[in-house]
Amino acid sequence: MRRVLLAALLLVAAPVHAEDLVSGISQDTIQITSSYTGTDIVVFGAIERALSAQGRNIVVIVRGPDEPMTVRRRDRVAGVWVNRDAARFEGLPAYYYLASTEPVARIAPPEALQRYGIGLQSLTPTATGSHHDPEPFRQAAIRYHQRVGLYAENPGSIDFLSETLFRTRVPVPAGVTRGQYNVEVYLLRGGEVVSAQSTPLFVDATGLERRLFNMAHDAPLLYGMACVFMAMLLGWISSVLFRRPA
Amino acid sequence: MEIYLPVAEMSVNWLILIALGTGVGFLSGMFGVGGGFLMTPLLVFTGIPSTVAVATTLSHVTASSMSGALAQWRKRAIDFTMAGVMLGGGVCGTLFGVWLFALMRRQGQMDLIVALTYVIMLGSIGFIMLRESLATLKAYRSGITVSRRPVNRGWIQALPFKMRFRQSRLYISVIPPIAIGFAVGSLSAIMGIGGGFIIVPAMIYILRMPTNVVMGTSLVQIIAVTAITTILQATSNYAVDIVLAGLLVSGGVVGAQLGVRAGAKLRGEQLRLLLACLVLLVGAGLLYQLIARPLDVYSLSEGVP
Repeated sequence: MRRVLLAALLLVAAPVHAEDLVSGISQDTIQITSSYTGTDIVVFGAIERALSAQGRNIVVIVRGPDEPMTVRRRDRVAGVWVNRDAARFEGLPAYYYLASTEPVARIAPPEALQRYGIGLQSLTPTATGSHHDPEPFRQAAIRYHQRVGLYAENPGSIDFLSETLFRTRVPVPAGVTRGQYNVEVYLLRGGEVVSAQSTPLFVDATGLERRLFNMAHDAPLLYGMACVFMAMLLGWISSVLFRRPA
Repeated sequence: MEIYLPVAEMSVNWLILIALGTGVGFLSGMFGVGGGFLMTPLLVFTGIPSTVAVATTLSHVTASSMSGALAQWRKRAIDFTMAGVMLGGGVCGTLFGVWLFALMRRQGQMDLIVALTYVIMLGSIGFIMLRESLATLKAYRSGITVSRRPVNRGWIQALPFKMRFRQSRLYISVIPPIAIGFAVGSLSAIMGIGGGFIIVPAMIYILRMPTNVVMGTSLVQIIAVTAITTILQATSNYAVDIVLAGLLVSGGVVGAQLGVRAGAKLRGEQLRLLLACLVLLVGAGLLYQLIARPLDVYSLSEGVP
């Protein structure tokens, strides 16, 4: 606690001497094309006016757009597994990746992590439409995203190229949602954030994929008819092609 | 080998999808069914969301049925009057089914209803077909010919609104065909199937249509119902993925043609016996999934239910 106070004092009293952070990302947009199978972005940064590396931590978080989600729990009813209780969450990101110099539990006390939104356990969405304890449902949502590779905590994955220069590779898997992402870089000392920087990252579909997606939503009737027409045409072509050798 | 599906919003291996289309197409060509009852569970198994799987399988069924129907049409083995009457019920059933689909999705019970409907339908139809084809095969071996068209059609004959179906050589009430059409239309929307495995037995055992027109007529009915359901699913649930449909269809139409050739080498009873086993197998697999403890009792769905 004394160190925290000290750090806070330093920040307030002597901003001139404070450590600072400069960071960037290898690309600020990710285009999803037909051959998109996931990619990596590189987040890099430098510490300015660096003090000792002792007690210093870097955390990089890539956070996707918030998405409403419903988690349901199945129970056995008459021998069959049926969805019973449900909890609806607002404010869970569609994607959350954390890279850090150390496991988050060792970087800062839980209250601080909660305050800064660092770590999967700091994801506290508002739960609605449920009369039950939402906690197991929240854990299930986090577990589900970890299983499909959309949530991850990856301690020890930040490479230092020199005393003050660092970089990390962030995977952006194939199943990501389109929208605005945020790349956040934190410099922590003694469990408190000394400096932070946030950069937006855009994930969007391009070309044919984008046009098809837009068409499915903007002109669904035409889109549906196009599907039917394509199916009938291919059915007809195959029947003509295969007619001879029969 | 990966391709991004714009509506399902995920990348999948396109070779697997073409192979899946070909395999299911082969079976559908062989047995004269659309193959939706196989395709939907298989797509869900590869990780495609069940709403997209149900809605997109319909295009695959449209294409393989189209391919088959054209072959039957050249043989003049289609009763268009019967198909038209059944379609009247089919359109109403489809509208009802799409409405029910949206309602169940809000309730969070879609997966359960789909699975239960599958188990019940596949179980009962598979069992009936198995019993019938075994009896026919046994009778064939002992040299007794079983009359396929008994004179007395019982309650069907007693219904009003009779109509003449020349191609089928039938003079029956329009109520049973409309009712069958309605049932198949609603199941088509809920299960993502054309309903061939329901229509074909219904035509043979309930309507007593001659076997040679059953195939072509059911295919025409299936094409119409799946085409309408695809458009309804596209407009109300935005769940049809055209890239996925294109891949499945490309494999499916080739598979269907090969299947028709393979099927021509087998006798009707043998085909029905094989189909019955296949239907029961899929039904048993789905039943197991309902009863077995799930890996995670929690499941997650995105967006507003």
